[in-house]
Amino acid sequence: MSTLKPFTKDIILLENVAAVVENIIGQMRGDVLQRFKRNGAVVGISGGIDSSVCFALAAKAFGPEKVLGVMLPEKDSSPDSEMLARELAAKFGIMAIKEEITGALSGFGCYERRDEAVKRVFPEYDPASWKMKIGVRQSGLFSNLPPIFYLTIIDSDGNVKDKMLPARDYLQIVAASNFKQRTRMSMLYYHAEALHYAVIGTPNKHEQEQGFFVKYGDGAGDVMPIGNLYKTQVYQLAEYLGVPKGIIERTPTTDTYSAEQTQEEFFYQLPFHLMDRFWYGFENGYPPSEVAAVMGETPERVEALFRNFERKRNTTEYLRLPPVRDYYHG
Amino acid sequence: MAIDVATAKGKIRDYIVQTSHADANKIKDESLIFKEGFFDSMGFIMLITFLEEEFGIKTVDSDLIEENFESINAISEFIQRKSQG
Repeated sequence: MSTLKPFTKDIILLENVAAVVENIIGQMRGDVLQRFKRNGAVVGISGGIDSSVCFALAAKAFGPEKVLGVMLPEKDSSPDSEMLARELAAKFGIMAIKEEITGALSGFGCYERRDEAVKRVFPEYDPASWKMKIGVRQSGLFSNLPPIFYLTIIDSDGNVKDKMLPARDYLQIVAASNFKQRTRMSMLYYHAEALHYAVIGTPNKHEQEQGFFVKYGDGAGDVMPIGNLYKTQVYQLAEYLGVPKGIIERTPTTDTYSAEQTQEEFFYQLPFHLMDRFWYGFENGYPPSEVAAVMGETPERVEALFRNFERKRNTTEYLRLPPVRDYYHG
Repeated sequence: MAIDVATAKGKIRDYIVQTSHADANKIKDESLIFKEGFFDSMGFIMLITFLEEEFGIKTVDSDLIEENFESINAISEFIQRKSQG
């Protein structure tokens, strides 16, 4: 007989946020200070909700004087990101420095390699004045077909064109763009090693489990304090910790491509408040029919959604695994 | 130009077996290749590229429905329709 609580929309809400925060900061202290013997923490701050909550947790765990915030903008970053990150650092009394990474990315050929692939799809694309992004189509998540990526370009007059991305071009655009996250992580480890601090990884539960991160990029770090929290719960922590309203109310973006792009259109295909609840039902083994009844969906669509979740979790396992080394058992 | 059905199915099956690294005996003409997890998102994109290059068809947004891609049978019928239309 099942011991599951009846599924409700409120089932993922944290009942005692203060206690959850106390547990997390206690564990952060234990891991960083005692286990890793590091003296504090470095956090990359983007002005997004996840890094802001991690930053606030680090301030509580180690004290503001033992935390360094690093803003890592590049030429495609939104100016809002830096403004919000500065507001966050000021709120918690933590030193924040800016490391502009455009030069490093140019050195890697990040923009050139990306734009080469974009031009194969749209020869008229002008990277100097046009914007671009890639994303998935919304209708796919309740289907048995996996999502297909589209490339969108926007010219200087605001005219939009999009086209399905062939495999070779998709892979090159993603591989080139991933220099951004990996360059940021290199810079965070520079500061962490120079200060004998640990790097705080900022992915939330969805990013971890659905593979919405760059391996050895934003998926790296020494501790991940919100790695097991749903986005709804991250927002609960943000309110409790006093993260500035401008950050809490900001729509989560990828801040990776030159055109504005939400995380929902790039990857998740569902608003986070729905994704959280469906994923909770999926990972806790609720029958699709029970979840469907509460969420106003049909059981068939929820079954397809759960199959998509399963596929996503399986196909992204590679991203979460450390290098496999058990090849010799002598 | 009409494409021979048996030849098309053979090429599609060979491609699926080769790229999904699945047991060839498990992939039947009626197997639901996405529902049963043989292909992920990248596999789907690569399959479309393969079909376009191998059979000279052009896929458009409205083609991207489950009925056209769910099995070898469905894909074969889809490319027959595209090559005739």
